Amino acid sequence: MLPQEIRENIQRLIEAAERPREQVINVFYILQKHYGYFSDEAVREAAALLKMTPLEVEEMATFYDFLYREPVGKFVIQVCDGVVCWMFHENSIFDYLCQKLQVCAGQTTADGLFTVLPTACIGFCDRAPAMLINGVFYGPLTPAKVDEIIAQLRSEHCDLVICK
Amino acid sequence: MPQLIIDRREIEVPAGTKVIEAAARLGIIIPRFCYHPALGSVGACRVCAVKFLEGPVKGVEMSCMTAAQDGMVVSTTHPEAMEFRRYVIEWLMLHHPHDCPVCDEGGHCLLQDETVSGGHGLRRYLGLKRTYRDQYLGAFVQHEMNRCIHCWRCRRFYQDFAGYRDYGVMQIGNRTYFGRFADGPLESPFAGNLIDLCPTGVLTDKPARFKGRRWDLERAPSLCLHCSLGCNITGSARYREMIRVEGRLNEAVNGYFICDRGRFGFAYANHPERARTPRLDGQEVTWEEACRTAAHRLTRISREYGPGAIAVWGSTRSSLATLGVLQRLCREQGWLGPQFFNSPSRERKVKAAISRLDAGVAVSLADLEKADFLLVAGADPVNEAPMLALGLRQAWRRGATVVVLDPRPVHLPLEFEHLPVPPGGIDLCLDLLVRAAVSHSATEGLLPEAAAAFFNNLSCEYPGDQPLQDRLVSLGMKLKESKNPVIVCGLDIVRESTVVLAADHSRLLRAAKDRAGLFYLLPGPNAFGAGLLSLAGEPSSPSYADMLAAAEQGRIKALVMMETDPFRTFAGQPQFLAALDRLEFLLVLDYLPTPLTDRVQFFLPTTTVFEEEPSGWVNQEGRCQQAAPIYVGGRPISQEGAGSHPPRVFLAGIPGGEPQPGGQTLAALGVALKGTGAPLYLEELDTWLAELNPVFAPLLESKVTHPGVRLLPEARGDYAFSHPNKATLRDVPDDHLELLLVDWTFGTEELSGYAPPTQEVEQPPRLTMQSRDALRLGLGPGDRVSLALGGESITLDLEIVENMASGMMVLPRHRQLAGQKFPEGPILVPLQNIHKV
Ligand code: SF4
Ligand code: SF4
Ligand code: FES
Repeated sequence: MLPQEIRENIQRLIEAAERPREQVINVFYILQKHYGYFSDEAVREAAALLKMTPLEVEEMATFYDFLYREPVGKFVIQVCDGVVCWMFHENSIFDYLCQKLQVCAGQTTADGLFTVLPTACIGFCDRAPAMLINGVFYGPLTPAKVDEIIAQLRSEHCDLVICK
Repeated sequence: MPQLIIDRREIEVPAGTKVIEAAARLGIIIPRFCYHPALGSVGACRVCAVKFLEGPVKGVEMSCMTAAQDGMVVSTTHPEAMEFRRYVIEWLMLHHPHDCPVCDEGGHCLLQDETVSGGHGLRRYLGLKRTYRDQYLGAFVQHEMNRCIHCWRCRRFYQDFAGYRDYGVMQIGNRTYFGRFADGPLESPFAGNLIDLCPTGVLTDKPARFKGRRWDLERAPSLCLHCSLGCNITGSARYREMIRVEGRLNEAVNGYFICDRGRFGFAYANHPERARTPRLDGQEVTWEEACRTAAHRLTRISREYGPGAIAVWGSTRSSLATLGVLQRLCREQGWLGPQFFNSPSRERKVKAAISRLDAGVAVSLADLEKADFLLVAGADPVNEAPMLALGLRQAWRRGATVVVLDPRPVHLPLEFEHLPVPPGGIDLCLDLLVRAAVSHSATEGLLPEAAAAFFNNLSCEYPGDQPLQDRLVSLGMKLKESKNPVIVCGLDIVRESTVVLAADHSRLLRAAKDRAGLFYLLPGPNAFGAGLLSLAGEPSSPSYADMLAAAEQGRIKALVMMETDPFRTFAGQPQFLAALDRLEFLLVLDYLPTPLTDRVQFFLPTTTVFEEEPSGWVNQEGRCQQAAPIYVGGRPISQEGAGSHPPRVFLAGIPGGEPQPGGQTLAALGVALKGTGAPLYLEELDTWLAELNPVFAPLLESKVTHPGVRLLPEARGDYAFSHPNKATLRDVPDDHLELLLVDWTFGTEELSGYAPPTQEVEQPPRLTMQSRDALRLGLGPGDRVSLALGGESITLDLEIVENMASGMMVLPRHRQLAGQKFPEGPILVPLQNIHKV
């Protein structure tokens, strides 16, 4: 059940817009933040609030990398899958990360802390290879740097929630 | 107009034409997946690549995305273009499951064709294939996503062209998935078109699944009989069984598409209970004996009681030949009838409508799509004539305004203005709206005298509803701006005066604007043909009910019922069966297993539109079209062998092949009655029809070829406007609700009511009312109610809606309510007859 307060917030947002659809992504983010990921219930809530069909919501939600239709870990690591980053992936940083965390792309670690996802170019080609963790930029990456970042996140449990 | 050269041949095409279309005009079919003439170009598949040698565009480009321009020199067979296309095919086939042997599309698959023609024969990709989970999409469409090539045709049709929102495209890149949010039946009554459109085996015909390859089928161009629009179809039969219907292009009528009632309602032709042999007093007899006996008994009755003791009923679901010969027999023999309509008001409305259509105002469905203002009076398109809804949507997509004056909770797949007024208020709304639109012409004296006189007589207020009146006037101002308005008028729930007014107003608009159209919906696939005959038969034949009463009183001794089911009109009326029992002779001819076919002593089987002979049908705009026979008829082999091998016996004829076209049987009966002097009923039919009603004359001049022959008088300047009393609102008394009997897409139409696939999707009947009325009656959502009508009562689920007129209830004429007698004309139900149960 969506708390009344969040529902009203969203309704206000929609009413203020000239066309409800302008607010689609913002509404999705609010719901994703509440549910932890963009769950089926979130899809139906979004559809009802925006006067869309669940299919129309799904069409949009599954188009974007930053909307998660499946549960994700506390930290979502989005490794840039763009062409420039790949040119700099000496010894494949992506593989290194996956091996370190014992997951494949798209999976979440057993402790629920990390989800690794490839993502379209994030625009940091000058600091390739690059990645985002909960929206915060890291790069240029080396295996040592990856170790360091992961260790830090594990120990500090810092709250980097941005895109959830 | 741009001139270009394609494969060394010159062609001139209208500006804006895409190169792929220009080539098609030369007979060069460039490979394509995503391009479709009705859906346009998106450039999604890249398989239509051609080489541009000279002109404004150079190199390998997509022919569906490039508009033809002067000076272009195009090669479709250039090695570069061919190599490009070969790679495209190869990558489109990368994940394909290579399951053609078990795929229903195999044999008429565009992907197979293009793979072969593109020259991709060896698989090089050795990796894992991507696979998808398929969805359940309802009773009509089978889903097999692994075969998808991502051409987007399905989604573009479903959402853009047809306006439904529960099927689409999800995910991105390699995962792109075409389907629904979750498993479930497709909501659109046009979903079956996905089957025709999908160039691969993703979306295939579920009821026809595994029933045969294209080359196994007997196929022929035919017509849909499930409403009056006359959409064109291709029918397919195998082993004496109709198994499939597809849409067939008629640019003047339905375009490429048809509705699901038309696509899946054909199985009445295969009905296992269809009586297939002539039967006399419970015994099977030969045709000769049947005709001889029928003629003998009819002659005796005619001699004993006079020819007026014999009455004839027809219907609007018979071919033109059947209707014509039936009329001629009645004339010759002096019998009463034929009466083609099951109620006098229906007959009057049909006659009023078609006598007011002429070549000047009548518009086809294709013309209607080009209108810029559509005024729909008393019609519920999705439920009554589904393809009209698609037509309205295309007009709306081009910017037209759509206004619907109808008491029902009308749904359309487009944005429209719905004014839910009672049937008695539609006339007033028409008056107010058109009045506002043409008053400037009237005041400036620009209207011809007759039109001006009519204008002066129009009502100018809607009593007791100022907001509605204001709304009408403002819509009228919009109508004033339009250049090509069309009035659409249904015949079902409207008052007789509305039918006339719709014609008058279209003439008035024409007088003010030069251009205006009129589009009626009629009851039945050949209601127009029947109406033309009825008009020529003035004074009109007595009604079904009058003839029945005469039978009860013993004045009518014999009844001939040609392809009509009186149970649909009189069920639940005890006198009905009593009257039939009093007859000395009852002859029933039909192709449907109606409740009557089992009861009667004398039965002659007729063929469906799919069997044996070509047949003519006149749609609601007066277009006579021909349906070719698809197969010769007979009982399906699956029934003959009860699922196994058919019996190993030697027969001279086809098992169950006795049914004859109705017209042919009637002609034989005529010969038996008249002896050697009998006319050539069928051979001379067109001449006889043209003598009867000159509107039939075009049938003499030309053969009925595609896209059909219009049976309409020329437009004349001297249209006689009616002088109705000033339209007034007849309100329902406060302590009553008016019950409207209506059509549904599935569940009410006669023929599809005998087809299992359409039966499967029909909803149970429910009673619908406006929330204010429900409140008045203390009823809430989810209640079940009992409705007492003339002594009996029925129990139904209640549906409460906002978007309908108050003071009304809506009930479908549902198959499942057969047996329930409803009174003629407006039905007023006292509030105390409606209870919660
Ligand atoms: S399902 Fe068929 S029509 Fe739709 S995108 Fe795939 S191949 Fe094209
Ligand atoms: S709109 Fe009418 S004629 Fe056309 S396919 Fe549907 S039922 Fe048949
Ligand atoms: S037909 Fe031209 S790109 Fe698909």
